[in-house]
Amino acid sequence: MKNGRIAVPSNGKGGLEATRSGHFGHCDVFTFIDVENGAIKQISTIDNQEHVQGGCMVPVNLLASHNVNALIVGGIGMRPLMGFQQAGIDVYHDSERPEIKPVVEDLIAGKLSKIQEDQVCGGGGGQTKPA
Amino acid sequence: MLKILLVSIDKTSMSALKAGFEEHDVQTGWAESGGDALSMIAQRDFNLVVTDENLGDMTGLEFIKNVVSQNPMVNCAAVSTLLPEDFHEASEGLGILMQLPVRPKPEYAKELLEHLKSILDLAIETS
Repeated sequence: MKNGRIAVPSNGKGGLEATRSGHFGHCDVFTFIDVENGAIKQISTIDNQEHVQGGCMVPVNLLASHNVNALIVGGIGMRPLMGFQQAGIDVYHDSERPEIKPVVEDLIAGKLSKIQEDQVCGGGGGQTKPA
Repeated sequence: MLKILLVSIDKTSMSALKAGFEEHDVQTGWAESGGDALSMIAQRDFNLVVTDENLGDMTGLEFIKNVVSQNPMVNCAAVSTLLPEDFHEASEGLGILMQLPVRPKPEYAKELLEHLKSILDLAIETS
């Protein structure tokens, strides 16, 4: 990624040195990483909204309204994935590393894969390790 | 006015729920199969779709998977005889608002509407 805004579901107060939340819908905050010419330009955070059953589109609207271009998840359900795709937000997947910084660096370097529909949560798929 | 689509082979199985919805400011529609309902959803916006457990041409959960692929913004509720934990497992990731019993009574309409409005209010706050 050369330019754009990356969002990472994060634990605690978030930030580049924080850890990732295992499921985007239940994260404490989203860390935003603004990328310019392939370099990290700015870091910011926003609080996640209240999570209610069936409210999967709330974070989709939240991130779309903050001009997010890419999201990195450890796990995601089919409905929000479809929602992000419809909103034009690319969803990338890393279920192994709990730290934010290395997965962001990999995304910027083009080393992170987009999540596939057979990796979504439900039906035994989409296992996630980040806490 | 909220628009709700009820999907069931047997119209009477949703009649009590329909009556419950119509006590509020809600417009209801009905489809008798999953295929018919998907066509209706493609043509007009619904705030909520409530599906029966078996629709003849597909199960309720298969129908909701199709709805999510077609339009993830549509909120869904499903009649299911599964135990709650089994339903949670079977429907994980589909973002279903509520599991309903067979032939849901009118009071479920009020509960569903309150839940739907809380989600729609959150959606407005974030957009």
